[in-house]
Amino acid sequence: MEASVLLPNLLLFAWLLPLASFALILFFGPRMGKAGKGASYVATGAILCSLVLSLSALMVWTGRHGVWFDEHESGSAHAKEGAHESSEKGEPVKTKHAKNEEAAAKNASKAAATTAGKNEYEGNWYNLVGFGKLKLSIGWYIDSLTVIMFVMVSIIASCIHFYSIGYMHDELHEVTDHEVTLADGHHLHRPGRFHRFFQYLSLFCFSMFGIVIAGNIAMVFVFWELVGICSYFLIGFYFERKSASTAANKAFIVNRVGDFGMIIGMCALFGALGTFSFGGKDGIFQQVRPGMVDGDEHGHALRVPDGMVVAAAEKSIAAGQTPDAKQISAWRNSGLGYGLLIVAGLGIFCGCMGKSAQFPLHVWLPDAMEGPTPVSALVHSATMVAAGVYLVGRFYPVFTPEVLLVIAIVGCITLFMAATIAITAVDIKRVLAYSTLSQLGYMMFALGVGGWVAGILHLITHAFFKSLLFMCSGSVIHAVHTNDMREMGGLRKKMPITAYTMLVGCLAIIGAGLPLVAGLSGYYSKDAILAQALLHRDYNKTFAALFYIAAGGAAITAFYMFRLWYMTFSGKPRNHHCYDHAHESPPVMWIPLVVLSFFAIFVATPSLSDFRNPASGPLVNMLEQARPPGTLAAQTGAWAKVTIPDEHGSHHHDYHVPAGLIAFCTAMSGLLLATAIYCWRLVKPEEVKQMFGPLYSFLWGKWWFDELYNLIFVRPVLAIGHAIAELDRLGIDGVINGSARAVMGFSNWFDAWIDRTFVDGSVNFMARKIFGLGLAMREIQTGRLRQYVVLIVVGTVALFLVATFAIAR
Amino acid sequence: MPDLQTIGLSHYLIVGAIMFVCGAVCMATKRNALGVLMGIELVLNGANVNFVAFGSDFLRRNPAYGIGLDGQIIALFVIVLAAAEAAVALAIVLNFYNNHSTVDVDRADELKG
Amino acid sequence: MSWHALEFYFLALMACAFALAVVFAANVVRMAFYLILSLGATAGLFFLAGADFVGAMQLMMYVGGTLVLLVFGVMLTAQGPWVSIRTSGGEWVLAALVGGSLLAVLVPTAMRLDPAPNHEHAAVPGTAHKSENKAPDAKASTEPQTTRPTATRIGLGLIGAPTSGTSGYLLPFEAISIHLLVVLIGAAYLARPKRRARPKLVESDEA
Repeated sequence: MEASVLLPNLLLFAWLLPLASFALILFFGPRMGKAGKGASYVATGAILCSLVLSLSALMVWTGRHGVWFDEHESGSAHAKEGAHESSEKGEPVKTKHAKNEEAAAKNASKAAATTAGKNEYEGNWYNLVGFGKLKLSIGWYIDSLTVIMFVMVSIIASCIHFYSIGYMHDELHEVTDHEVTLADGHHLHRPGRFHRFFQYLSLFCFSMFGIVIAGNIAMVFVFWELVGICSYFLIGFYFERKSASTAANKAFIVNRVGDFGMIIGMCALFGALGTFSFGGKDGIFQQVRPGMVDGDEHGHALRVPDGMVVAAAEKSIAAGQTPDAKQISAWRNSGLGYGLLIVAGLGIFCGCMGKSAQFPLHVWLPDAMEGPTPVSALVHSATMVAAGVYLVGRFYPVFTPEVLLVIAIVGCITLFMAATIAITAVDIKRVLAYSTLSQLGYMMFALGVGGWVAGILHLITHAFFKSLLFMCSGSVIHAVHTNDMREMGGLRKKMPITAYTMLVGCLAIIGAGLPLVAGLSGYYSKDAILAQALLHRDYNKTFAALFYIAAGGAAITAFYMFRLWYMTFSGKPRNHHCYDHAHESPPVMWIPLVVLSFFAIFVATPSLSDFRNPASGPLVNMLEQARPPGTLAAQTGAWAKVTIPDEHGSHHHDYHVPAGLIAFCTAMSGLLLATAIYCWRLVKPEEVKQMFGPLYSFLWGKWWFDELYNLIFVRPVLAIGHAIAELDRLGIDGVINGSARAVMGFSNWFDAWIDRTFVDGSVNFMARKIFGLGLAMREIQTGRLRQYVVLIVVGTVALFLVATFAIAR
Repeated sequence: MPDLQTIGLSHYLIVGAIMFVCGAVCMATKRNALGVLMGIELVLNGANVNFVAFGSDFLRRNPAYGIGLDGQIIALFVIVLAAAEAAVALAIVLNFYNNHSTVDVDRADELKG
Repeated sequence: MSWHALEFYFLALMACAFALAVVFAANVVRMAFYLILSLGATAGLFFLAGADFVGAMQLMMYVGGTLVLLVFGVMLTAQGPWVSIRTSGGEWVLAALVGGSLLAVLVPTAMRLDPAPNHEHAAVPGTAHKSENKAPDAKASTEPQTTRPTATRIGLGLIGAPTSGTSGYLLPFEAISIHLLVVLIGAAYLARPKRRARPKLVESDEA
């Protein structure tokens, strides 16, 4: 069957199976087996089927398009590679100008290649509404990125489903929540919510797949919100705990801030372009980069779409100028509509910022660790938070260099800030949460500096090793029943599998590997990012700091990850009660760890034939297939003085080698420092803490962001709220109460005067008179029979007389 | 004055009137319930006399006043009603006597206002 | 003065006198006796007026039935002090005044019904021949029939066969039959011996 038919259907079923599972558990969950145990089998079965379907889709894709770049392209790529090497020999240091030329040449060859093969499929399953221009539909947009995301999400979700069966077994029976104390001083007892957990997991998987497969931005938004609500449910899974419910609310509200921006971006796009869909003849991508669909050779460069130009030139049109093609291109050249494009890009990025917890909106992610650990692994590290990065990647063609610069800066701030906070955190899950923040920052940063493949590659590799790390931490927490690393130590002997799989995760996240030879998955993605950042630095000297911060961040990452590992697994046990109680987790929990650690090691491995070229791995090549055309060309911002370099430029040895060495050195320095402090104990951590007292408390307080937001947003809002409430109470309520009182007073008076005097008066008067009459008549009613007879006779006589004398005449 | 020689309608009417008035006075003066009952019989009888007199063809009278045999039939109805009334009244009196050990109608004033 | 007139005066006097006697008698037993005589005299008056059947019924039902009932009542209740209850003088005066005024109203009215003596055409048996010549109206033509006994005609009238000058009275007859039945049942119910609650109480006490 043709891939264009097969792929959407395979992915459709992979997408809808979790929904079916959700519906089943929703209605029959509590009746599934003992205490809802069957729910876990239903959900796990559904996600396993999704996994199989996703893998089939992957095979269909590779069968059609190959794992490698593209037949046509690979030839030219190799040719280019040759060209690189030759130029390297010829002139070791290239000028910027030369590079630009080269990029342009590459762009042209690439464009020629894309005309041959169609690299994405798009279409609609169902049209929801169509009002004039507005068309809402459930559609698909499938390229290799979609397929890879499907496979990645389903692999991790399957592992986590299995893991959760073991981790959540407490919920199978009545639960005593020791963190909730009721008013009567007892701990909360509640029925287990095992089935509910799997219900939410299924809904989450459905929503995540929905985001990935969505063919238009409106559909993305719908599933974006569904993912948000799943996150809300899962963070607040222990909703009896105050902290959990607050964290759930916080996550939800902070995400609303981001979504507001996203709606603005959607409005800008729809208002100007009149469509929501990505692909197609009049899709967003086609309008922004006309060459992307119709293969126009010169159309890959970013071009302000006609709709935006017209929208921006409203005044001129009102003045009588006709928006014909010539006029539009004149307007476009004068810069009209460019701002609107930036607004659209920034708006969409704003939504991604909320979902991916980027710098100003990052505060919800650490608190989200209140949820059960499998949730943290699946939702808050591997997939949902990656959705923001995914959307940036998906929307990449629309972003102007200015927007990309903003993305890079935000990502850079996030990665550095989160990394520093992670140094001082002692809660094992919080360390990982800040590490997640930091890595998400790396991804955004990578995308922002032009490393599309680097960023997405890091998204994939990070998903594997971060879910692995979280599940390991969950295994530890499950064993020692505390989150506090200061209570742990020496657990390596008790739970070796967890310890070594976690070590794999740590090595992967710091990007460990033999420089220039091979390494774990993180090695390749991080090197790619740093190389691209290095290239970016050369292009934009103004923003050179970005590269140094990112490189420094790598060192900090290594430090805090190994601090975590050493504090948890090595040394002597600090709390013997916890230590004695600890045990290795059951197989249902550690088997997923092993599976994931396999992926964490090998997911980005390059091909054996070209082992030393990090860009030769199957994953990288598949991602290259999905690369939005035109992004390979270096592009310069029209407003800001920034140039986004061509990504393939960073594959050059000039950048690749120094970046690899820098990454290795920074990671090793962080690793060595952590080892020195926490393993060899050359310096006591307490002394360091005292030495950097203010800095320590600054980091301990998480840069005081919560306090800052409290001061800037929460307090004023509360104050305004109180003021308005006071106004309401004193002013509006006063007026209303006053008028009510006045009306009441008036009616009381009216009642007393009119009612009593006239109405009651007349009625009472009549009643009194009739009563008196009755009393008088009562005297006649003697009850004496004979008197009545006399009266009858008298009456007869009277009638007679009347008849005789009055009527007869 | 009516003609004393020829017995006419008015003679009968006068007799009926006297009996009626006697009955009424009897009802008004007798405290014995049975006396009252007898007064009623007298009143009814006085009325009956009138009916018969109006329906009689043997009396001197204005022919316009004649009601024929109807007068006698109505008189019969009155007699029957009187009998029925007497039966019920007697039952009431006996009941009253059982409850109050007296037949004095002045004692039966429980319905006074 | 004809025998007819003499008989009338005798019977009328008897009826009125005994009616007055009923009024003035103090003893209830005597009252009953005077009433019998008064009603009997009235029956005589009915015969005189040509209403033979009504007169017979008067004797049979009033004198024979109703008054026997009354006498039973007297016998059942006339114990000791209740035989004669005196009435105060004031009431007598009041009753006399009222009765007198009623009489004063009724008697002149009765008098006025008397036709003027000059055009006398009343259907008096003795003068029948004369009046037949003078005024041959509808009444006069029916006169030969009036001499017959009335019982047959009354019976026919009651079962609904209208005879000359008489409408059918079947419906009132039926109504009065039902009435009589109801009255008898009601009377039996009212006069039934009361069941006392005392024996029951004693029983419950013993229990």
